[in-house]
Amino acid sequence: MAQSCATVGYRATTVENVTELAGVERERFDALFTGKEDCALAAFNKFVSETLARLSISASDRRAGNGLDAEQVQVQAVLELVATLPAFAQLACVEARHGGTARLRAAYDSASRVLALMMERLGTGANGSGVSTLQARASLGALEALVRRELTAGRAERLPRLLPDFVYAALVPFVGQREALCQARQAARVVLEEGT
Amino acid sequence: MNAIQRKTLLGEMLEELVQRGYGEISVDRAREVAGVSGEEFRAEFGGKDECLFAAYEQLSEEVVQVAGGGCESGGPWPDRVRVGLVALLEELAARPRMAQALTRSFPGIRPAAYERYVALLSRFEPFVHEGREYSGLGDELPGEVELLAVGAAEAIIFGEVDAGRTKGLPAMMPEILFSVLVPFLGPDRAAEEMRTAAAAT
Repeated sequence: MAQSCATVGYRATTVENVTELAGVERERFDALFTGKEDCALAAFNKFVSETLARLSISASDRRAGNGLDAEQVQVQAVLELVATLPAFAQLACVEARHGGTARLRAAYDSASRVLALMMERLGTGANGSGVSTLQARASLGALEALVRRELTAGRAERLPRLLPDFVYAALVPFVGQREALCQARQAARVVLEEGT
Repeated sequence: MNAIQRKTLLGEMLEELVQRGYGEISVDRAREVAGVSGEEFRAEFGGKDECLFAAYEQLSEEVVQVAGGGCESGGPWPDRVRVGLVALLEELAARPRMAQALTRSFPGIRPAAYERYVALLSRFEPFVHEGREYSGLGDELPGEVELLAVGAAEAIIFGEVDAGRTKGLPAMMPEILFSVLVPFLGPDRAAEEMRTAAAAT
């Protein structure tokens, strides 16, 4: 489903495309999903669940000692996910938002609200910074714009190298420019050292 | 087909797209409103998709011109961004169906159409580029800071258009301005500009 949406878009995707790409019989598809939208929602939810899981990991859970703070590790983990699953990312960030059905759009809105809240906490801790929910959504939008541009250009594999930009954008409204720049520089050093 | 007929036809195609959806567009109805024959239509565009893409190009050009004209006004960089933003938001609020075509209906047709939307957003980046120099940080700012600023504003605008609140966009100018300025100036200076803009409106 994700691959078909990335190639021809959700609108032009058919169940026949999906079963052919997946190499499964129509009966098997019908046993798993009620139709095209249901399958797309399952793909969407799979990607969002994995994104949320990666935003929940702590720095000590992976790559201990690489010099990244917890929030930087989380952002890096999400970028690696997008780079690994670009078709799913495109379904979640582009098709659900622009080309999908009302249920897909509602799923996108719901996921955006959760991610914006998590971003706010990522930058400020649970106490908040006084930054409005609208601004948290705008910050998420800044990150998504960069993801969408790279996906559209077929450069998903480049995303992990843009970690400093993502770290900066995720933090600057909440922690201030000096601290956000400091963390972006730290992320840039790690990206350089790791040769991402 | 003269220039007025062409412009009318392109506008009607986008109206069709927003009101009926891509699959139900009536090229004949759009042609009739514009007074364009089937033969003229085929000679100019070839088919529905070519006409829709041309319509989107025309609309994109109009919107970029409106915002760019505002950004060319005098004064410090944040003021020019504010004037450009006001012009853009007022234009969208005055044409809510065109705003929907711009942000949702057309980009959702298929990946090739979405590419046009990404290209449109990139055309706003030069309008904020001067923020690097104004901030005093120049190249210390991340390489993609212009897109981050445009993307933040787009997220708010898209959300309002999608929710059917396009006419209320001008009232949200101060918060959208904050989202554009904050990657360049940080939250304190951006908030100061937002308060000044709010007081002036």
